[in-house]
Amino acid sequence: MIAAFTAVVRKDLMLEARGGQSTTALVALSLLVLVVLVFAFDPGGGEQGRAAAAGALWVALVFSGMLGATRAIAAEHENGCIRALLLSPLDRAALYAAKLGAAFIFMALAEAAAIVLMVLFFNLQFDVRTMRLVPAVMLGALGFAALATLLAGISSRVRGGDLILPLLAVPMFVPALIAGVKASAMALGGAPLAELATWIKVLVAFDVMFVAAGYLLFEYVALEE
Amino acid sequence: MNGRAIRIGLGVLVLALMLAALYMVFVVVPTEADQGIVQRIFYFHVPCAWVAFASFALVAVAGIFYLWLGDQVWDDMGYAAAEVGTIFCGLVLITGSIWAKPIWGAWWTWDSRLTTTLILFLLYCGYLMLRSMAGDSEQGARFGAVVGIVAAIDVPIVIVSVRLWRTIHPAVLVTRQGGHGLEDPRMVATLLVALAAFTALFIWILCLRFVTLRMRTRLRTLAGSLAMAELADQP
Repeated sequence: MIAAFTAVVRKDLMLEARGGQSTTALVALSLLVLVVLVFAFDPGGGEQGRAAAAGALWVALVFSGMLGATRAIAAEHENGCIRALLLSPLDRAALYAAKLGAAFIFMALAEAAAIVLMVLFFNLQFDVRTMRLVPAVMLGALGFAALATLLAGISSRVRGGDLILPLLAVPMFVPALIAGVKASAMALGGAPLAELATWIKVLVAFDVMFVAAGYLLFEYVALEE
Repeated sequence: MNGRAIRIGLGVLVLALMLAALYMVFVVVPTEADQGIVQRIFYFHVPCAWVAFASFALVAVAGIFYLWLGDQVWDDMGYAAAEVGTIFCGLVLITGSIWAKPIWGAWWTWDSRLTTTLILFLLYCGYLMLRSMAGDSEQGARFGAVVGIVAAIDVPIVIVSVRLWRTIHPAVLVTRQGGHGLEDPRMVATLLVALAAFTALFIWILCLRFVTLRMRTRLRTLAGSLAMAELADQP
C-alpha cells in the first residue's frame, strides 16, 4: 500500500521534474490571475488593499487547481497510462491517495509562488503576516486537490468534461473559499494565528471530509470499462 | 394498472390539497401586521424549501444504495429526485426574492440561508449537467451517485461556513428563545396545509418522473437483449 503510493507519487514527480509542464503552467496562470485582478480592482493600500489581495490569492488558487487537476488526469490518458494503472493490482484508494499527493505538491508549489507574487503586486511586506497565510493556503490547496482529483476522474471520462469540472468543483469548494479568504484577510491585517482558529477549523473539517470521501468513492470513479 | 390508479388518485389528492392551500392563503389567514400582504408568499416559500431539501437528501440516499447494491432502480430514483429538487430549489430562490424586495429592499442579499440555498441550487445544476453529458449509461449512473453523495457531504460544511460568514434571515420557526414567529393559529394551520399540499405534489411529480425513467431503463434493457438476439441469429 505504502510502496504503491510512493511509486505512483514518484512517477508523477519524476515526470514533472523532467518536463516541468504542470507547475510552470500553474505558476503562469496564478501570475495572470493576479495581474488581471490588480487591473480589475486597482487596489490601494490599507484594509481594502489587503482584502483584495487575499481574495485574489484564492481566485488564483481555484483557477490553478482546476488546471492542475485536469492536467494530471489528462497526462494519464495521453498514452493510455491510466489503463496500465487500473490494470495493475494497485488498490484504487492508494491510487487516489497518490494522485492527490502529487496534485497537492504541485498546487503547494504554485501557491508559494502566488503568495510571493501577491506581496509584490499588491505592495505588501514580506513579514510575519505573510507567514501566517501559509496554514490557510496549504489547507485550501489540500482541500481543492482532494476535490478536484475525485471530480477530474469523472470529468475526464465524460464528453465535454472540461466544462463539467468547474461547474461541480467551484460550488463544492465554496465553504473552503469563504474560510480561506477570511483567514487570509485577517492574517494580512495582522491578526495572530489564534484569531484565525475558527476559519482554520472550517478548512480542516473540509479537508478531512473531502479526503475521506475521495478515498472511499474513488473506486467507483476509476473503473476500467 | 394498479400503479396507474395510484398515480391518478395522487393527482386528485394534490389538486384538492392545492385548492385548499390557496383558499387558506388568500382567504382564511390574516394579513401579517408588520409585513403586510407580501408575507403570504411565505406559505409557498417554506414548503418549496422543504421539498427541495427532502429531494436532495433522497439523491444522496439513493446514491449510496446504488453504489452499494448496483440496482438501476436506485439511480432512477436519485435522478428523478434531483430533477424535482432543482426545480423546487429554483422556486425557493424566486419566491424568496419576491418577498425580499419589499421587505429588505433588495432582491438578493448574501445572507447565510440565501447563500446556502443558492450553492445547493448550483451544486444540483452541476449534477444535472453531468447526467445529461454522461448520457444514460451505467457509468453516468455511477458518476451521478458519487456526485450526489459528495454534494450531500458538502451541505453541512456549507451551512456552517456561511453562517459564520453572515446571517440576517428572519428566524421563523427556528428561534430557540420564545415564540416561533407565527402568532395566529390560522397561520400555523395554513402553513401545515401548504406543507401537506407541497409534499403531495412532490411525491406525485417524483412518481411520474420515476415511472418514466423506469420505462426508459426497461426499454434500454430490451433494446440490448434484442441486439444480442439478432447477433446470435446471424449465420
